Amino acid sequence: MHLAAIDYMANNGDSFLHRARPLTKVVISFLFLISLVISNHLYKAAVLLVVTIILIFLSKVNIRQILHLAAYPLVFSLIFAFIRMQQSWVLGVLVLMKALGAALNMLLLLATTPYTDLFGLLSFFLPSVIVDVFLFTYRSLFILLEKLENMVKNIRLRGGFHPSRLFFNLKNLAGAVGVMTIHAFDMSERLYRIYSLRGYEGKIPIDNEWQPPSLADGLLFLFALIVLTGVLIPWNI
Amino acid sequence: MSHIHLPDGVISPVWWVTAWIICLLLILFFARRLKKGGDIRRKIPFIGVVGALMLIFMSIPLGFIPVHLSLAVLCGILAGPELGFTAVFAVNTILSLMGHGGFTTIGLNALIMGGEAVLGSLIFKNLSRRLDALASSVIANIIALALSTALMVLVVSSAVGLTHALPIHDSEGAVENIRFLSLAGWGAVYLIIVLGIITESFITGLIVRFFSKVRPDLLNSAIKN
Repeated sequence: MHLAAIDYMANNGDSFLHRARPLTKVVISFLFLISLVISNHLYKAAVLLVVTIILIFLSKVNIRQILHLAAYPLVFSLIFAFIRMQQSWVLGVLVLMKALGAALNMLLLLATTPYTDLFGLLSFFLPSVIVDVFLFTYRSLFILLEKLENMVKNIRLRGGFHPSRLFFNLKNLAGAVGVMTIHAFDMSERLYRIYSLRGYEGKIPIDNEWQPPSLADGLLFLFALIVLTGVLIPWNI
Repeated sequence: MSHIHLPDGVISPVWWVTAWIICLLLILFFARRLKKGGDIRRKIPFIGVVGALMLIFMSIPLGFIPVHLSLAVLCGILAGPELGFTAVFAVNTILSLMGHGGFTTIGLNALIMGGEAVLGSLIFKNLSRRLDALASSVIANIIALALSTALMVLVVSSAVGLTHALPIHDSEGAVENIRFLSLAGWGAVYLIIVLGIITESFITGLIVRFFSKVRPDLLNSAIKN
């Protein structure tokens, strides 16, 4: 899933995007996303895609891993692109560009913003219990993924996987998933006890104090606004 | 199973904006009930873990079948309809941040997959009074998946006009004389969907049977809730 790699990039990266305020980055990402969604011309989508790629290069994140993750939505969008290509090839390519651009945009946000900051911003419009659900989900995912990797290794070592025996594999897979689910529920009980001891009452305190935007934030915001305006203007090309 | 990997910009804004509004209203409603229901300190880590499990189940490949598991019904059975839906919303948001499905389609995905969890949970609860856990979970899974997949196909079809993908849509009568099994267009789609539903139901049934042997308390509390 590359989640650990993305998390590492977000917490240890050093670029102007990593230093920018999380709120600024979220706003810019949404402006870019809106621009992509509403752009109905190939050249506009291409410009947005190029701008996103340039921002990825400037943010000094691991491009190979970002592109690997962006390949999934690109593959899934192929079917819709082929359908649209029956009407016009431009529409098909537009679908691909939108899918890739939006995925890269979201991945750039996740790779330059620590998840606590990102989920913390959700508390502006979502109840604290839902924000906590996000934080617990994300945290539990790392722990359970490690458990799954060990479990799959154990199954293979003990001869529980044969490429040609589908039902045998499914039965073992179901057993592994069952064991992991029980582990997971035990983990949730452990989390409950740990957080109760720490005085958890249904709201994890996240530092969400309002900080005045810096010059870099202002420039980034202005840049995103210019891009959105550029998409809205009908150019005679 | 019915997770839509639709990218941003494909679905009409009417669909995704409406879905986002309904989804947010439901989430606000469930959050309020969660707060009022008590024992919030236990429930929130539990939903988090259920969400993480769903994300992991989705990453398990199914070999030659080109779909992935979600086990949303299983999560609905174990966590209950409200907590299951909340977990589904968190899962879809995290997935969209990683580029799996568009951000604009979070609402649609959450409603379809969350509906699967809610429906599966309710059917299982009712059936388990008369049938054993294995049969109840398989039947609940098949019904919930069939309905949610039909909804997903409806959304995709109305949004992108899937009829254009059919080999016969603009050549009426061209394939009238075919007398053998044709696995093209909708035939192939139906086959993949049915295989996906059967596989997910089979695995859910096996997991529930495993629970009934190892931790029957998990199923008993799910039936009571």
